[in-house]
Amino acid sequence: MQLNSKSATNQEPVGPPVYSKGEPSRSPSPAKSGDSRLPAVEIQGLRKVYRQIIAVDDVSLVTYRGEAFGFLGPNGAGKSTVVKILTGLVAPTKGTVRVLGQPINHIESRRRVGYLPEFPSFHRWFKARDFLEFHGRLYGLRGAVLEKRITEVLEMVGLSGREHQKLGTFSKGMLQRIGLAQALINKPDLVILDELVSGLDPVGQRDMRDLLRELREEGTSIFLNSHLLADVEAICDRVAIINQGRILKVGAPAELFDKRRVFEVRVSHVTEELLLRLKAVALSIEAQEDDPSSLQVEVQRDEQAADIADIVYACGARLYTLAPRRLSLEQIFFDTIDALKPGN
Amino acid sequence: MGLLLITRFTIQEAFHRWLLLAMLVLNILLLAVFALMLNSAYSIQLANAPNHSDPQLFLLEFDIIISILSVWAAYLLSGALTIVLSINMVSGEMEANTFSVVVSKPLRRAEIIFGKWLGYALILTIYTAMLFFTFLGLIYWRTGYFPENALPALGMIEISTLVLLALTTLGSTIFPTLVNGAIAIMLFIGAPLASFVQLITASQGQTTQNITTFVNLVIPTDALWHGASYYLVPSFVFSLVQERGLLFSLNTPFTSIQPIAPALFAWAILYCIALPVGGAVRFQRRDL
Repeated sequence: MQLNSKSATNQEPVGPPVYSKGEPSRSPSPAKSGDSRLPAVEIQGLRKVYRQIIAVDDVSLVTYRGEAFGFLGPNGAGKSTVVKILTGLVAPTKGTVRVLGQPINHIESRRRVGYLPEFPSFHRWFKARDFLEFHGRLYGLRGAVLEKRITEVLEMVGLSGREHQKLGTFSKGMLQRIGLAQALINKPDLVILDELVSGLDPVGQRDMRDLLRELREEGTSIFLNSHLLADVEAICDRVAIINQGRILKVGAPAELFDKRRVFEVRVSHVTEELLLRLKAVALSIEAQEDDPSSLQVEVQRDEQAADIADIVYACGARLYTLAPRRLSLEQIFFDTIDALKPGN
Repeated sequence: MGLLLITRFTIQEAFHRWLLLAMLVLNILLLAVFALMLNSAYSIQLANAPNHSDPQLFLLEFDIIISILSVWAAYLLSGALTIVLSINMVSGEMEANTFSVVVSKPLRRAEIIFGKWLGYALILTIYTAMLFFTFLGLIYWRTGYFPENALPALGMIEISTLVLLALTTLGSTIFPTLVNGAIAIMLFIGAPLASFVQLITASQGQTTQNITTFVNLVIPTDALWHGASYYLVPSFVFSLVQERGLLFSLNTPFTSIQPIAPALFAWAILYCIALPVGGAVRFQRRDL
């Protein structure tokens, strides 16, 4: 894959401070190039009101060059509105937004941005190659450079050999792929993706995540909107959780999603002694209502899994399952919202 | 440069839609039927001509009438194509969500509007000119008559087409496709009301004159048609009819005894420019 190589100078952090309302931001991956502390997206005090409906309320955040940033939230949280503002499709009611150091209506900075909307819809009469040629030309690409790039991006998204097929005959997954191809046709410095894997089968999802990881490794900044935890965990260096138009938390996925170490324990039989001994090492224990031989055991450290196994063995029970349980996105939201309530 | 890309895209898209192809096929059929009817009608006229006191004038009267009616048909067909082709210029893209990946590209929104406008303007003006000259060409082929001021007449009809395109351009940035189409059709069909009102105006005074002016300001297509029809009548015919005191007979809802007023013509030109500009301004501020 041939993408823009980013310069590798070691600069001190520049630009405005991190505006995150939640936890302090973590530095992007050291694999990123030296300009990684230059902001890719800067949002400050952003507010968007559609008539009387507040879609986005006082959102502030900064993402950095070379960083893959996830914007995570349920449907209707305001994610897509933020993305549409970033891409100039929607005007903010209040606040300032800068992309690659420039205001959002700056034409030249848009040449360095690629965008894939949610549920991409394209003109069905276009053939794949013509479609990419049109979008490449909109970015100012011409001639042999454009031809070469079209071939490259078709290969990158797994659509080689489909050049002369009309988009009207494409499956939903193929449309997603060609949509990503048009977002990458200009070798963007920043790719903005609104719901990456909607419409893709599992193989397609894996391919797209691999492709984005590859882009990230090459230094491309990524802003990924998603309601899928798996997407942002697989790709992103940092994540912001947004709900009801407000950012609840910003941090690395590991910080946000792995705070609680909960193990799912299934044994041959649960005894009073087993429960007593587990309580001595666990922060909490929950019995499963539908399965009396299963327990949810919360501990402080991952290493305590070994303690749990020892206790089960010592109590004469057989251990069938001892698996870390990941919190669902819903649980993370509820935990985050609960944590923000007064008194917590 | 973005503007020309959008123009090219618009033209490509128009040719990929069945609508344009269907219109072209139907037009060919219509012209074929017209040619047959013209041939038949002119044969009858030729046969009847010797029975009239002035056979030349009798045939010329037929030539003029058939020219005006055929150009009127071209005007209507051109107007119809303008409406059906361009009512979804912007609204259709927004309804289909196909604009997201275009508007986010490094080009100004005004370039999208003017690029699309230019694409449709090229298609429609070429279509109108082809239809205009094909009708008049068929008449010339059969009768040997060709209006002496055909080009100014074509100019009026082309401007009328652009007026309608300007209306749909602005409308498509404000209204959904169906509403825009309904407005354009109602105005285009309703515009000749001004002509009927104008007929009465001479005897009814200032109020009806004001109504006529108002209608012409809202949609100057019919005024432009009358301007075109004026150029389709040879100048000596006006003198001849005036000598006989029958000039009023040429003042009908379809024909005019005077060219379009300069102020109204200037307004029509301004209309063609101002409405797309208004559309661009509206689109610039619109959330997608």
